[in-house]
Amino acid sequence: MRIQRRLATPHWLLVAVPAGSLLAAFVATAIVLLVAGKDPLAIYARLFDRAFIAPGALTNTLVTATPTLLTGLAAAAAFRMKLWNIGAEGQLYLGAVGASGVGLALRDQSGPVIIAGMILGGLILGAAWAIIPGLLKAYFNTNEIITSLMLNYVAGLLLTYLILDSRSFWRDLTSFSARAFPQGKVLPDGASWPTFDVGVMVVPFGFVLGLLAAGLLWSLYGSTIFGFQARILGDSPSAARYSGVKTRRVVVLMMALSGALAGLGGASEIGDFRHVLDPRGLQQVGLGYAGIVVAALARYNPFSVVVVAFLLGGLANAGYSLQGPGFPAGLVGVLQGMILFFALGGELLLHNRISLTLSLSPQGRGLGRGASTP
Amino acid sequence: MNDSIVVVLVASSIFYGTPLVFAAVGELLAERSGVLNLGVEGMMLIGAVTAFWSVQHIAGPDWLVLTLATLIGGAAALATSLIHAVLSVTLRANQIVSGLALTIFAGATGLSSYIGNVANLGGQPAKHEFTAINVFGLSGVPVLGPVLFHQNALVYASWALVILALAYLYRTRTGLHLRAVGESPQTADVMGIAVARYRYAHTLAGGLLAGIGGAYYSLAITPNWIDGMTSGAGWIAIALVIFAFWRPELTLAGAYLFGLFSSLGLVLQAHQVPLPPELFGALPYLMTVAVLVVVSTGWAKQRLGAPASLGVPYVREER
Amino acid sequence: MRSITKRFPGVLANDSVDFDALHGEVHALLGENGAGKSTLASILTGLYRPDSGEIAIDGKSVEFHSPRDATAAGVSMVHQHFRLAASLTVADNIVLGHSATPWLRTNPTTIQSQVAELAKRYRMPVRPDARVWQLSVGEQQRVEILKALYRGARILILDEPTSLLTPQEADDLFETLRRMTAEGRTIVLVSHKLDELMSVSDRVTVLRAGKLIGTVNTDESSPRELARMMIGRDLDTSPLGGEVGAKRRVGATESGIALELKDVSADDDLGLQALHRISLTVHEGAVFGVAGVAGNGQRELAEAISGARPRTNGDVLVKGRHLRSGATEDAIVRGVAHVPEDRLGTGVSPSLSIAENLILKSHRQAPMSTRGVLRHDRIRRNALDLIKRFAIAAPGPDTPTRLLSGGNVQKVVLARELSSNPAVIVAANPTRGLDVGATEAVRALLLEAARNGVGILLISEDLDEILLLADRIAVIYEGRIMGVVPRSTADVQHLGLLMAGSSA
Repeated sequence: MRIQRRLATPHWLLVAVPAGSLLAAFVATAIVLLVAGKDPLAIYARLFDRAFIAPGALTNTLVTATPTLLTGLAAAAAFRMKLWNIGAEGQLYLGAVGASGVGLALRDQSGPVIIAGMILGGLILGAAWAIIPGLLKAYFNTNEIITSLMLNYVAGLLLTYLILDSRSFWRDLTSFSARAFPQGKVLPDGASWPTFDVGVMVVPFGFVLGLLAAGLLWSLYGSTIFGFQARILGDSPSAARYSGVKTRRVVVLMMALSGALAGLGGASEIGDFRHVLDPRGLQQVGLGYAGIVVAALARYNPFSVVVVAFLLGGLANAGYSLQGPGFPAGLVGVLQGMILFFALGGELLLHNRISLTLSLSPQGRGLGRGASTP
Repeated sequence: MNDSIVVVLVASSIFYGTPLVFAAVGELLAERSGVLNLGVEGMMLIGAVTAFWSVQHIAGPDWLVLTLATLIGGAAALATSLIHAVLSVTLRANQIVSGLALTIFAGATGLSSYIGNVANLGGQPAKHEFTAINVFGLSGVPVLGPVLFHQNALVYASWALVILALAYLYRTRTGLHLRAVGESPQTADVMGIAVARYRYAHTLAGGLLAGIGGAYYSLAITPNWIDGMTSGAGWIAIALVIFAFWRPELTLAGAYLFGLFSSLGLVLQAHQVPLPPELFGALPYLMTVAVLVVVSTGWAKQRLGAPASLGVPYVREER
Repeated sequence: MRSITKRFPGVLANDSVDFDALHGEVHALLGENGAGKSTLASILTGLYRPDSGEIAIDGKSVEFHSPRDATAAGVSMVHQHFRLAASLTVADNIVLGHSATPWLRTNPTTIQSQVAELAKRYRMPVRPDARVWQLSVGEQQRVEILKALYRGARILILDEPTSLLTPQEADDLFETLRRMTAEGRTIVLVSHKLDELMSVSDRVTVLRAGKLIGTVNTDESSPRELARMMIGRDLDTSPLGGEVGAKRRVGATESGIALELKDVSADDDLGLQALHRISLTVHEGAVFGVAGVAGNGQRELAEAISGARPRTNGDVLVKGRHLRSGATEDAIVRGVAHVPEDRLGTGVSPSLSIAENLILKSHRQAPMSTRGVLRHDRIRRNALDLIKRFAIAAPGPDTPTRLLSGGNVQKVVLARELSSNPAVIVAANPTRGLDVGATEAVRALLLEAARNGVGILLISEDLDEILLLADRIAVIYEGRIMGVVPRSTADVQHLGLLMAGSSA
C-alpha cells in the first residue's frame, strides 16, 4: 500500500468521507449486534425514534447535546491549535461547582442576577482549572495531555469530597433525605435557566449560549489577531516565535478559553438540568470526553460541532433512555467508538492518496518502492 | 505482628498495585516504540469481562481455568488494541483521539458493558478465583511473610514480568531496536529495522498485558463482575509510565506507591484520622504532574525523558 | 553501474548513467543541486530501485531491494544528515540493526571493546559509552563511519561529508579515507566542492541535469574544467564577481549605520555561551558578509539581532536606537527584517495561506488590523500586490504556502520582509537548496534592497556567495568574529584559515 500526500482535498471527498465513516460504523456495529443475536435494524430504528422522533425526543436530545456542545467547543478551540486539552471533564466539574456555589450564595437575588452569576462562576472556575496545565505547558513545556488528564481525576475527587465527605457550603446538611444519604443543596427556583419553546422542542438556555459561543469561536479564529496567532502557533511554533507571537500568553489564554467553555457546560448542567451539585451523576456521563469525540468528528469546526453534538446527543440520549432488558447496554459506547474509528481512518483519505499495489512476485517487497514525488 | 497496620498496608499495596504493574509495563512497551495508547482503561475492562466470562463457562481444575481465563482476557484486550495499532501506525491517525475512542468503545459504556450484560455476568461470584498462595510455607514469617510469601499467583507473575521486561529492554538486540524505534524511527528504518512491525508488536503486547491487568480485577480483587470495575486504573497506569520514567523497575515501585495511597486513605479513615480519603486518592495524580514537570525541563529531558517520537506517526520520507 | 535510469514524478533524475569505481580508489561524484548525484548514490545504497539499468559488485550482478541488501553486499552510505538515535550510546548506534550481534547481550562491554578496537584501528577516537547527543558534529560523523566499517563495508559512499566540518576536521576525515583506501576499500565521494575533490579524489564523474557528462582522472583535470562540465559554462571566479558584482559597485557610498552590534553575547539552547562579545557595523546600502562553517554561532547571531534570542550582554542598535533584548516585536517595529535559514519551518507558517504569511509580522498594526480584528480585504489586496511585484508563482493568495517550491517560498519571505521598509535585513543562508534561477532572483532582490539604502547582514555558509555579494567580510568561529576584511583585499586562503579558527 502506498500513501502519498495530497496537494488539495477534492470537495466531494470532504462530504463523502464523513458520511462514509458514519455508514461504515453503523454497519460494523450491526455486525456486533448480529453476533449477539440481536436485530440491528430494529434496534437502530428504536434508537433513531427515541433520539429524534418520539414525542419529547428532541427536547431530551438537547439535554445531552447542550453540555456536549460546550465541551465540544472547548476541545475544538484548543485542539485547533494543537493544544491537547483533555481536561474538559474536570473543567466541567469545576464549572458546576462554581455555578452551584454562586447560585446558592445569591439565592435571594432576582433571576437574571443569579443566572448571570452562575454563568460567570462556571466560566471563571473552568478557566482557572484549565490555566494550571496551560501554565505548566507555557513555562515548563510540560505535556498538557497528561496534566489535564490527571486534573480530571483530582477534580472528580474534589467533587466527591464536597458532597460526600465534608461539611461544605455545597452540601445539604438539613433536609431529611440528606441525613440518610449525602447530597448537595438544591438550588433556588430563580437559579433555573430559562428555556425557549420552539414548538417541536424546548431549547435550554445553555444550548443558546452554546450557539453563541460557536459563532464567537468561529470569528475568533477567523478574524482576530489572537486567533491568527493561535493558528500560527499551532501550525509552526518556530514561525510563531519568529514573528513575535507571545507564545506563552497565547497558550495560557487559549487554555483558559477552552476551560471556560467547558466550565460553562458545567454551569449549564446545573442551571438547565440538575439544579443540584450531583457528583455521581456528573461523573457518570463523561461529558468532557464526549466533547472530545464531538470535536474530533467535527474536525474542529465550531458549526460542525453544533451539528455533531446534536447527533451524538441524540444517540446518547436514546441509549440511556432505552437501557433495560431487551436493549443491550453499552451499545452507545460501541457505536460512538466505531464512528470515531472510521472517522479517524477516513481522515487519512482526506489528506493522502492511497494506492494498493498487488505484488505478484515473491520479492514483492521491492516492487514499486521508492516511486515518489521528489 | 503480622497483623500490624504497617505490614497489612505493605502487603495490600502490593496486592492492589499489581494490576497497575501489568497495565503500566504494557503501556511502557507501546510507548517505547513511539505509540501512545490512551485506551488502557478500555482494554483493562475488556480483559476483566472476558476473563470473568471464561471462568464461568470453562470447566476444569482451578489452575487450568484461571490460566486460560487470564490469557483469554489478555487476548481479547490484544484484539481491541489492534484497532488502535492499525489507526495509529498504518493510518497515521491522531493517537490521542484514537486511544480515547478505544476507551469509549471498549470501556464502561461500551463493549465491556455490552458483553457483560448480554452474557448476564453481573451479580454472580466467580467460580474460580486467584487466592493467596503459601509460598514455600513461609507465609507465617514475621513481616516478610505476608508481604512476600502470601500473595496470589499473578503477583508473582508480575514480578517475573518486570524482570523479563528489564532484560528485554537492555540486554537483548530486539530491545535495543525497540528503543531506537522510539527514539528515532528514521534512524531505525535506515538501519533496516521494521518500524511499523515493532510498533504493532508492542502496541499489541501492551494490549495483552492491559487485559491481564484487567483480569486481575475480576479474578483476584473482587471475584465478580461489575460494569466499569477498574474505576480509572487504566488512567493511573498511563500516569505510572511517566512517573517511572519509562523504566520497568520503577513502574513496580510506583504501582505499589499508588496502591499504598489508595489503601492508606481507607485505613486512616477507619482509624478516624481526620484527613479526607480523597486527598490520598488525588495524590497519585498530583505526584504524576509534579514528576512530569521535572521531566519536561531541558536538563532532564534528554537524560530521563520520553521516547522522542512518542505520539508522532512515522512517515518514511521519500526524497 | 550501467545505464541507470530513475524517474520521479515530473523529473528524470538519472538518465542512463554509467558509473564505475575501482578497488582502493576515491571516486568523486560531482554535480550541482539537482544534478542527480544523490539519486545515483541512493540507488547504489539500496534506498531506491532503478527503473532500468544494472549494478554489479566485483563483477557479480546484484539487485538491492533495501539498504540491508546493500549493506550485506558491502555497500554503506554516510548521509549528510546523520541517522543516529540521540539518546542511545555510541556503541548501541553502531550495532543497531546488525544481525550478526547476538540476540542476548549478556555482557554489553564486549560490544564496547569491539567498537573501541575498531576506532583505534582507524584512529577515530570515540567513547563507546557516550550518548550521541553529547557528541560534536565531527564525532557523530565518526560514529557514522564506524557503523559502516563495523558491517564490513568495502564500498563507502559519503554524501557531502564536509558540509558541517571545520577545515581541520575535514582533513582528519580525508586522512581516514586514505587509510581505508590503502586497505583496498572504495570511496565514493558525493560533493559539489571543487577544491576538496581536486585534493582528495583519484577520479571524478560529473553529472548535470541527470545525465553523465564525463569521467576524468583528477590529476589530468582542473577546477576550471570540472566547473565547466558541472555547469555547462565557465564559472566566473574573478575577485570582483561578474555581472552581479558590477551592479554592486555603482553608488555604494558609505552612509549612515543601519545596524550596530556592541559586545553582544548570547547563549545557545543548551545554556552554553554561543556568542562572545561580538561587535560589527553594517552601513546603510552595504552588504556585510559573515562567513563561517555551520555551527559556529550563526543561528544565535541572527536570533540575537532579531530578538528571538535574549542577549546576555551587549547592545544591538538599529539606526542608532537600542533594541530590547529578547523582544522580537521590538526588533520588527524598529525595522529589523530577518530571512531565516529554515524558510519553510520558521520563515513561513506552512499550512497558512500566502496572504496570511505575507502579514505574519504586520498583522498587529493598521492597516492589516484594527482593534484586534483582521481586515481581510486589506490583507488580500496586499497579497495580490506583493505576488505581482515579486513574481511569486502560485495559483492564488489563498494557496497554502507549503505547496510552493523552495524558491517561491523564499520569495514570499523576501516579499514580506522587504515590503516592511526595513532598516536592515539579516539574511541567513538565503539561497541554500534553491536552483540556479531562484538563487539569482533572491540575490538580485537583496542587492536591490541594498541599492535602496537597506543594510544587509548576509550570514552564509557558502563562501562563494559571500565573495560575490559582500562589501566587507567577517568570519565567525566559535561565536567570535575572527576578522573583518574589505572584499577587495579578501584572500580565500586567509578566510579559510580564519574559518578554521586560526587568527593568523
